[in-house]
Amino acid sequence: MRRYLLIRFLELIPIFFLISLIIFFILNAMPGDPLLTMRMENPRAMTRDPAKIAELRKYYHLDDPFIVRYGVWLWSFLKGDLGYSSMYKQPVLGIILKRLPNTLLLTVTAWLIGLIVAFPIGIYSAVKKYSLFDYFFTVLAFIGISLPTFWFALMAIIVFSVWLGWFPVTGVQTYGVSGFWNVFFDRLRHLALPALVLGLVQVAYWVRYIRTALLEVLDQDYIRTAYSKGADERRVILKHALRNALIPIITIIALDIPYFFGGALIIETIFSWPGMGRLIYEAVLASDYNLAINCLMFLAVITLLSNLLADILYVIVDPRIRLGAKAV
Amino acid sequence: MVLPLKKSVEELEEESSPLPIGTYWQLVRRKFLRHRLALFGLIALSCVVCLSVFGPMFTSRAYDEMDLLNRFKPPLSAGYLFGTDELGRDVFVRIMYGGRISLFVGLTSSLLSTSIGLLVGLLSGYLGGIVDRLLMRFVDVMLSIPLFPILLILTMVFGSGVKNTILVLTVFGWMGVSRLVRGVVLSLRENEYVMAARVLGTSKLKILFKHILPNVMPITIVSLTLNLSYAILAESSLSYLGLGIQPPTPSWGNMLQRAMNYILATGLEKVVPWWLVFFPGFMIFITVLSVNFLGDGLRDALDPRFVSES
Repeated sequence: MRRYLLIRFLELIPIFFLISLIIFFILNAMPGDPLLTMRMENPRAMTRDPAKIAELRKYYHLDDPFIVRYGVWLWSFLKGDLGYSSMYKQPVLGIILKRLPNTLLLTVTAWLIGLIVAFPIGIYSAVKKYSLFDYFFTVLAFIGISLPTFWFALMAIIVFSVWLGWFPVTGVQTYGVSGFWNVFFDRLRHLALPALVLGLVQVAYWVRYIRTALLEVLDQDYIRTAYSKGADERRVILKHALRNALIPIITIIALDIPYFFGGALIIETIFSWPGMGRLIYEAVLASDYNLAINCLMFLAVITLLSNLLADILYVIVDPRIRLGAKAV
Repeated sequence: MVLPLKKSVEELEEESSPLPIGTYWQLVRRKFLRHRLALFGLIALSCVVCLSVFGPMFTSRAYDEMDLLNRFKPPLSAGYLFGTDELGRDVFVRIMYGGRISLFVGLTSSLLSTSIGLLVGLLSGYLGGIVDRLLMRFVDVMLSIPLFPILLILTMVFGSGVKNTILVLTVFGWMGVSRLVRGVVLSLRENEYVMAARVLGTSKLKILFKHILPNVMPITIVSLTLNLSYAILAESSLSYLGLGIQPPTPSWGNMLQRAMNYILATGLEKVVPWWLVFFPGFMIFITVLSVNFLGDGLRDALDPRFVSES
């Protein structure tokens, strides 16, 4: 098992390099000369002396071939030196680390809400196949897939925050609230609407996957055997069927993590939630290339780690999985 | 023991030939028309397309015509069906013009990305070997970059506007199709009829385009609908964030762009201009929903395995 996970981990390394290569390629496609941009941002601090400029060009490897510049850039990324943000005038790493917990709080809550809602519905739909309940949620799943996230979020704000006044409109917390429980509930109220919107959008996809995966398993002979041996339905479905259906479900749910960041980007922007997604958006609007690119690298790394998470979960769920035996 | 023969020969023949009669496309049409949701999708989508393409011809108002005396009029008042926005522009007229842009961008980019995906999938699946390994690794890598953030960053690099939005959606939209097509080609390649064609000395290119391509079309058409719905959603999200289609050109996404400010700015005593948000978003929603229903119906109808089921 340890060997399996190690190999899986090692496989991620070339993918990481290729992703960083593509991202660096995009960074290079940006128009404009970096030194000129630096001078425009901070005219007084920049020298006009040609010798000094040549020195700076050499220092930043601006005239070196692409692959050398890529190497230098990647090496400093791996060392944790992400450079400066032109918008915040601060090191990028600090900004990202300050924003990351907010995004994780939002996405993990939304993810959990999605799971808690999707599993019972998906299982029930599969068990009562072609019933009114199943049909209703099939149509509802289509609706969920077709909803533009930003529209759903805006309508939710109009209905629940503006008209009904149940939730605060934007932000993470109210200023001036003190006391542990007051702060806790205040933050919870701020978290509720964005997390619900983000989570419920995902439920639609997951219900379909859970239903399909479970239906495939329910057709198998050993399920009939379990029934004929007198096991009650609850036990058959939860113990025999679901456990085997979990493997494809885990693939989808873990691989959906990057989509969460995409969705979170819009949700964070609408709800003024100071996370990574909103940071990318702000960076893009301010043409802060370095900040935007490094945020993207962070998200790519998180995506790769979620792939690894899926592999770890496989091993936990399915003892058969070794490297030779392929997961579904 | 001899079982009594109860059924006539005709009855038996009828039972043993479950295949309905007709050409493949006749069967597809019959199957599709029986799919209620798909039919609903087709009708709704036709309505949306007609409204966007022909609607503007029947209105005298332009999409940027301002009526400053009638700002923030609610729907069905002062002669405005869907109300007016912050500059007194007719929301209904803007939705019709916006539909042209949104549908054009969605359709063009999904056609382009599906074609690229089809080509990559065909090559990868048919050539196999090192080409396949390289192409599929590349697809893996492209797929592990978070999609929406990269779309956002690409619009920063290339700039926004109709052409660049199409470009960006195409560049990052082909991977899913290529994977699906490759899978189908891999299984087709081993079929006897392909073997027969090869034995007869048919050239590789001819086998690929005459024998394999037609069989890949069903899954490609279904992927096209998926890509179309994603492209419309992504365009509207980008435009909503101010990075896709730029005002004054209306698109369903950018019509919502500033609506949020007005919703938060109006106090409780004034009317919340919900229609600025509701109608453009609803158009996106109903269009994408129709495309998805259509895709589901086509998936069932085009799959040769399912044709035989009544």
